[in-house]
Amino acid sequence: MSTTTETITLTASLKLTTQQDMSSPSHPPPKSQKQMTKAERREQQEAQRAAKAAAKTAPVQPKPGPSHGRNASIGGKGTTPPSGGTPKKSGKEPTTKPGKGEPKEALHPSSQLDETPRGLRIFSHFGTPKPPAITKGDIHPAVVRLGLQFAEFKITGANARCIAMLTAFKTVIQDYVTPRNNTLSRHLMTHLSPQITHLVSARPMSISMGNAIRQLKLDVSGSDIDLPEQDAKDTLCDTIDNYIRDRILLADQVIQETAGKKINDGDVILTYARSSVVEKSLLHAWESGKRFSVIVVDSRPMLEGKALLRSLTTASIPCTYLLLPSLPSVLPHTTTLFVGAHSLHANGAVFSRAGTAMVAMMAKSRNIPVVVCCETYKFAEGIRWDGVSKNELAPTPFPPSSTSNSDPHSLKPRPNLSILSPLYDLTPPSCITAVVTEVGIIPPSSISSIPGALGRTMIGA
Amino acid sequence: MADDLNKDPKFDIWTTYQALLVNKELSTPLAAILALTELVERSDAGTMFELVKALNDGARVLSQRSPNPVSLNAGCELFIAFVTLFPHDSDSFSNLKTELVKQGRKYATEALTYREKIAEIALGFIKDDSIILTHSYSRVVMKTLLRAHERKRISVYVTEARPRGLGLRTFDELTAAGIPCTIVLDSAVSYVMDKVDFVLVGSEAVVESGGLINAVGSNQIAIIAKAANIPFYALAESYKFHRLFPLSQYDLPTHNPNILAFPLPSSSAPQNNNPSIRTSDENKLMHEPPRTMTHEQIACHPDVDYTRPDLITLVFSDVGSLTPEGVSQYLVGMFAG
Repeated sequence: MSTTTETITLTASLKLTTQQDMSSPSHPPPKSQKQMTKAERREQQEAQRAAKAAAKTAPVQPKPGPSHGRNASIGGKGTTPPSGGTPKKSGKEPTTKPGKGEPKEALHPSSQLDETPRGLRIFSHFGTPKPPAITKGDIHPAVVRLGLQFAEFKITGANARCIAMLTAFKTVIQDYVTPRNNTLSRHLMTHLSPQITHLVSARPMSISMGNAIRQLKLDVSGSDIDLPEQDAKDTLCDTIDNYIRDRILLADQVIQETAGKKINDGDVILTYARSSVVEKSLLHAWESGKRFSVIVVDSRPMLEGKALLRSLTTASIPCTYLLLPSLPSVLPHTTTLFVGAHSLHANGAVFSRAGTAMVAMMAKSRNIPVVVCCETYKFAEGIRWDGVSKNELAPTPFPPSSTSNSDPHSLKPRPNLSILSPLYDLTPPSCITAVVTEVGIIPPSSISSIPGALGRTMIGA
Repeated sequence: MADDLNKDPKFDIWTTYQALLVNKELSTPLAAILALTELVERSDAGTMFELVKALNDGARVLSQRSPNPVSLNAGCELFIAFVTLFPHDSDSFSNLKTELVKQGRKYATEALTYREKIAEIALGFIKDDSIILTHSYSRVVMKTLLRAHERKRISVYVTEARPRGLGLRTFDELTAAGIPCTIVLDSAVSYVMDKVDFVLVGSEAVVESGGLINAVGSNQIAIIAKAANIPFYALAESYKFHRLFPLSQYDLPTHNPNILAFPLPSSSAPQNNNPSIRTSDENKLMHEPPRTMTHEQIACHPDVDYTRPDLITLVFSDVGSLTPEGVSQYLVGMFAG
């Protein structure tokens, strides 16, 4: 295992000692690494690993080390709680050892007894997917259930997640009791914060959820102090209902009508993965009598297009289904591309399911209009230029609840193989022809002017 | 009884509109706004809802009977939005109506000065000894060029703009004013493009995407200008800004499946053997009898085309000089607020 050179052991011993101190304070002060023989070093490390596995309940935060690359992989490992253990780890105790075992200048470790994959060196700042951490504090059962559903990808899609979260929060609010000497408007958010953290640990928060929570915080802090508690809670639940109704459901209705006007008889509509609002628009256009056909493009690992295909064919819409690599062969037949969005950024870029950028770029290069359907509550304040700065990785057997044996074609993690599946990517505004929102069809460059026109102060409010 | 009174304004709408168009200075959207103002004046509506409904009906009549409804629709929508958003703080409805009529007329009078404003703004972009390319005939372009001619030396290429041949009218007027002007075949635009300093066109409408709807041929000129890295400027009064968003040429409201469609195999009358009909005797420049399309073939052609926003450099308007992205921001601010 430890084929480290002298220099590496020296620098790494810093980390070892600090972590040792943090995990097992009863350990005798370590001899200098130079003084120990190889066998003794190995013994020490095995002991540390055992101690750490026994003692640890929360992920250890590594001190910033000298080598950034090593730190990144350690960081990637460090966030995986050993108690849970992702399927990638296949039950082995995670340690910092394999991370340390890949120094930049060292040789390829010859005897890797540990089969744990080394972790992703790039994209490790996304954090590896993990099951929800053991909860501290009272997490409401509705939120626990929601967290599980998120982690197992049973609820996917920005709209679905936001609505599910808000509905769970309504239950939490109704069950909430203001502690004595405190007011609802001040304490409720403190009560909700760990619930939110629990959901974030299951899956990173979407922009839609973030904007909804921001609005909720505003409403909670603005709630009247003099109201009796039940009335205040009911008012809050009504506000949540109104938010869902106005910003999501009604907005979707306006979008589906507007987008429906852009669909004509005989058109071939291309769509990617599954967007709830695009699905609604296509069904609405079909019901209003337009006769067109749809090409559904899909990709692994999520294969959401299958669900869309089922829904469209149930409505008798003629559909074609293909995977992303075969896209160029159907583009000559396409009239328009409709995609959904996870979020829209101030510079007009669209953050959406991984693969959308490719489809949009190819369509744009053939002068096929690219139409993005997105509600205004998904607008994000920041500017993003690429999908690398912030993204999410799919867990490696996908969905996480299934065993890896179920799909014989799925890649299994191996020591030399890291599987990278970002869930999102960024489509630049130059590839987008039009954005359909509930306030009308706008070019992507005008996204920043919408809040002003609606009397709101900031994007996503 | 209400029907009779409603029928009357409907009739008046079209004839009023036509009567207003006799004034050459009035463009179609302004004439439409004034016609709708007349409708408000004569309307018997008792509530805002009825009034807006009557206005919508009137606008629909106008656009159905007009051969080129795009800019007309822009004007109608602007007026109807204005009426809807007008504060109802007056006590009686007839007071409100009088106020609306007054505002409408005031707007139209003021709008006639817009062309001057645009000419002023565009003047800053016209350097001495510029060679300008323009397309077809546009009143606002004409005003700008004449104004520029007062202080600077300019030369103008103007396209013939078939089939209507309005470019020749531009040619006549510019030559009469003493501006050196040459008429160019639509197919020779790329030939002269490298000599041109910038392209200046008018507009039927400027749309939400920041694109331009103008006489057919504008898109071609814009594409050639882009390929040659020549600036392409569009002049448009603010009442021509329209909330339409065409995704492509075929998404225009003026497009129908018969435009430039292939003939069905059964109905092929041998049109090739028809003797060629000369379009008009304005073609004095041609010496040998050229062949031209038949009237039926010309009728299958669109009147306007759509120029994408990435081909347009700037849009000059009475609200200022805007980039195509700025047009959309202006429209959102105006209509969504």
